[in-house]
Amino acid sequence: MMNKENFEIQVMEYLSGDMPEKNRAQFEKLLAKNENLSKEFEGLMNIWSKVENLDAPKPTAKMDESFFDALVQEVDKKTKKSFWILLQEMVFSAFKPQLAYGFLLVGVGLVIGYFFSPGEMPDENQKIVQVDEPLEEVRQRLVLTLLEQPSANQRLQGVGEANKIAQVDSIVVKALLQTLNNDPNVNVRLAAIESLTNYLDNPTVRQGLVQSIAHQESPILQVTLANLMVALQEKASIAPFRQLLQEKTLDTTVKKKIENSIESII
Amino acid sequence: MVYPENKQENTDNLDHLSDNALMSEVKSGDLDKLGLLYERHKKTLFGFFYNLGNNPSVSEDLVQNVFMRMLKYRGSYTGKGMFGAWMFRMARNVNYDHHKKTAKEKISWQVSSEELGEASDDGFNESMEREGNSILLKRALAKLSDEKRELLILSKYKGLKFGELAEILGCTEGAAKVRVHRALKELRTIFLELETS
Repeated sequence: MMNKENFEIQVMEYLSGDMPEKNRAQFEKLLAKNENLSKEFEGLMNIWSKVENLDAPKPTAKMDESFFDALVQEVDKKTKKSFWILLQEMVFSAFKPQLAYGFLLVGVGLVIGYFFSPGEMPDENQKIVQVDEPLEEVRQRLVLTLLEQPSANQRLQGVGEANKIAQVDSIVVKALLQTLNNDPNVNVRLAAIESLTNYLDNPTVRQGLVQSIAHQESPILQVTLANLMVALQEKASIAPFRQLLQEKTLDTTVKKKIENSIESII
Repeated sequence: MVYPENKQENTDNLDHLSDNALMSEVKSGDLDKLGLLYERHKKTLFGFFYNLGNNPSVSEDLVQNVFMRMLKYRGSYTGKGMFGAWMFRMARNVNYDHHKKTAKEKISWQVSSEELGEASDDGFNESMEREGNSILLKRALAKLSDEKRELLILSKYKGLKFGELAEILGCTEGAAKVRVHRALKELRTIFLELETS
């Protein structure tokens, strides 16, 4: 006869699916033979399935936003701290006379190296970018989260975060262009243009800016884009600007501005 | 949060890494890897806190507290045992500290009047009945001791085997099974009492 504790253990193994097939058959036989145990088991199985089916609502996007915000802060803090520790170590070491001589030699070597092979410098920059990559990735994720928020302030913050990224990936560029074309708030759209101007070397950005001309209805944005296209001398913008000129609702000042811009680009 | 396709591709490259491997990278200074662990476990942890009786907003705060605590105590992560067990141990402490801080405020299951109203509108409808059962279950859980409630909520997670549960509780696997069994039995008694009252 099985003792109480063993039965309790077996019930839990059976319910959780931990029990091997062979033991399951044995356990089922035991239940079939004993009505009391069988009743007790059924009752427990019933409440177990209820507990298993307990559900919970989905967490909101606010949770993601505050987590990634906090994570970026921690990563920033750590980066600054490591730099500070490194600096302290260097200063401390410099006071040791035997190392000071070594530093002097290294310094002389660096100066000579700098003058004799200036082509090496871009590699150094590349290294710095590589070190910052994880932080950049987290920040990009934060930008994407913030740009999805219903509050215009948070979306503005998102665009602001995008400005801190040295090398944005195509997803962030896409999100910024989408903001430029679809955001209901003029200030956010303006900020998106400003942010995109950081990446004018990227053909997708230039193309996206040109394509967005036709989407803009706000005079401020139309004028800002006109100024930008003149500065870039972007010939591809002439066609969408001409299309915009056909709009009957176009503000007369904006109309003049666009006409002047087209002339300057041609 | 829904990531655009390419972003997903970027994270897919890291998907093959186990939780333990990711946490070890966090420990060695790659703090951003915590973002991936967060994406993997945020829903589970949120459900854990919510089902323990915290409201959604508090549950969200507690999820963040768990991950911030992981950062703070990353040095103590040994990589031995299952990451989930370490995470839930931390989650239990976070929940305990939160309720200690809110000045002995008893964990109360917030069953809203709307929920109760919906359930009593049509007792014959199957989905309503299920909802009614769920409210009854929540009430029954609220009547259990904190320890037993936590035990049952932890044991409901599919990814957590009894071995890991025992690791969290600091007891043997057999003892963990017996404890869950007894908590379940008590819950059933309370549930039946509530159902007939």
